[in-house]
Amino acid sequence: MSLDETQQLAADYVLGTLSAGQRIEVEERLPRDAMLRTAVQQWEAKLQPLTQLVEPVEPSPALWQRIENSLPAKPRAVPATKPGGLSHWWNSVAFWRFAAATGFAAASVMAIAPTVGLFAPARPQFMVVLVAPQGTSPGWVVQTSSAQRLKLIPVAPEPVPAQRSLQFWTKADSWSAPVSLGLVEPGKPIEIPLDQLPPIQPNQLFEITVEPYNGSPTGRPTGPIQFIGRSVQL
Amino acid sequence: MPAGRRRVAPASRLRQTLGYHRRQPCRVPHRRGAWCPIDPLVRPTPVPSNDPTPFDHNAALAACARGDQSALRRLYERENRFLMGVALRIVRDRAAAEDVLHDAFMAIWNRANTFDPHRGEGRGWMCSIVRNGALSAVRASARTVSVDEEFLDELQDADPQAAPDMLDAFSMRSTLGQLDHCLERLDVAKRNCVLLAYLDGCTHTEIAERLSAPLGSVKAWIRRGMASLKECLA
Repeated sequence: MSLDETQQLAADYVLGTLSAGQRIEVEERLPRDAMLRTAVQQWEAKLQPLTQLVEPVEPSPALWQRIENSLPAKPRAVPATKPGGLSHWWNSVAFWRFAAATGFAAASVMAIAPTVGLFAPARPQFMVVLVAPQGTSPGWVVQTSSAQRLKLIPVAPEPVPAQRSLQFWTKADSWSAPVSLGLVEPGKPIEIPLDQLPPIQPNQLFEITVEPYNGSPTGRPTGPIQFIGRSVQL
Repeated sequence: MPAGRRRVAPASRLRQTLGYHRRQPCRVPHRRGAWCPIDPLVRPTPVPSNDPTPFDHNAALAACARGDQSALRRLYERENRFLMGVALRIVRDRAAAEDVLHDAFMAIWNRANTFDPHRGEGRGWMCSIVRNGALSAVRASARTVSVDEEFLDELQDADPQAAPDMLDAFSMRSTLGQLDHCLERLDVAKRNCVLLAYLDGCTHTEIAERLSAPLGSVKAWIRRGMASLKECLA
C-alpha cells in the first residue's frame, strides 16, 4: 500500500511537510500539470474537515481596515485580458498580485512584451518575476539585455528591517550553492554585469534575502527570502 | 533522554505533545533565534460550532469577481475568526498570522474570478489559500528554527502506541464524518503525525522533536498514514 509519485507529492504539499523550495516547485508545476493539480485538489478536499478542529481566534479589529486599504480605490475593472487596457493593467498592483499568485506573471510578460515594445530596442532573452514566498506580491522584475548583463527593476518595494541589507542571489540547477549578485536597495533599479558567471539558463533561480547589514557574512544566504523567482526564456 | 520522557504521566505528556510545556521557537524572521511560548489562544479546547445561519460563499466570491468590495467584507466578517485560527496554529504569532490573513484576502479578491464552484466549495478554497500562505510563510523562515537532526535520528524508536492520542484533545470530532472513521483506523503515532503536520504546520523534524521519535520513523508513519487515508477515503 503506497502512493505513486504524484499522489505522494500532492499529499506532502497539502499536509504541509515540504520545504520552502519544494513548495515553490510544486506551485510552479501546478498551472501546467493537470494530474498534480487534480491530486492536490483531491487531498485538499479530503483533509479540509480537519480545520474544523481548530479553535477560532479573533484577529485585531484593525485587520479589516488594513485589508480595505490594500484594495484598489475603485471597483476593479475586470480582468487584465480586456483589450485596450494594457497600460492600466501594467500599472495595477492588483493585476500583478493576481498574476503572480496564479503563476502566470512571467508568461503574460512574455506574451505582451514584444507587442507593446516594453523592452525595445534590445529584446531581452530572459525574464524573471521575483515574488514573495507567500506568492501574492511581486517585488522585482529581472530582465536580461544580453546573457552577460541583467537589470533588476523594482515593482513594489518592501522596506528593509533596520540594520539589515537586501542581498541578491542566483543559482542555476547545476550549481551547488547560490552566488551573490550583490546588495540591492528597495525601489532602486540596478544593472549587474554577469561577467564572472556562466550565461543565464532557463529556470535559473533568483532570490533576494534579508541579510545582516552589509551582506551575508558567510557568502551564502543566511536570512529569510523576501522575493524569489525563476528565469523564463523569452 | 527518551526513556525518561516516556515515564511522564500521560496527561502531562499530552500537554507536552500539544506544545504547552515546550517553549516553541519563534517562526517569524524579525525575532530570529528568540524563543517564545506557544500563543495561549491556540489551545485545543472545545470549539464553538460554526455559525449555523446559511451563507453562500460561492455567490459572495462571484460578487468579488465582479468588483463588489462589500462581498469581500461579508466573507471577511463571516470567516475571519475561523481563518485566523487556522493561520495562527501554523505560524504561532499573532502579527504573522494577521499578515497571512491580509495577503490571503488580497489573493481571494484578486483571484475570485478564477474560483470554479464545480471544482470545490468556496469556503474550502479560501481556507486553502490561507493554509498555503501560512505554510509558505513558516517554511520561508525555516532557517530560524534550530534543529538537531542527528539527535533525532539517534533516538530509540518510541513506542508509537504509548503516546497520547492528539485527536482525543479535540471535541467536534463528529463533524469530521468519514475522515474521523479513517483517522480512527490509523494507529496513534500515524494519526498524531498527520494532525501535527496538517493543523500545526510542523515539519518532519518538528514532529520528531514533539513526539520524541526518530526522524526516519516519523517520515515512514506519515507516508503510510497518508496512503491508508487515501485508501480509506476513496
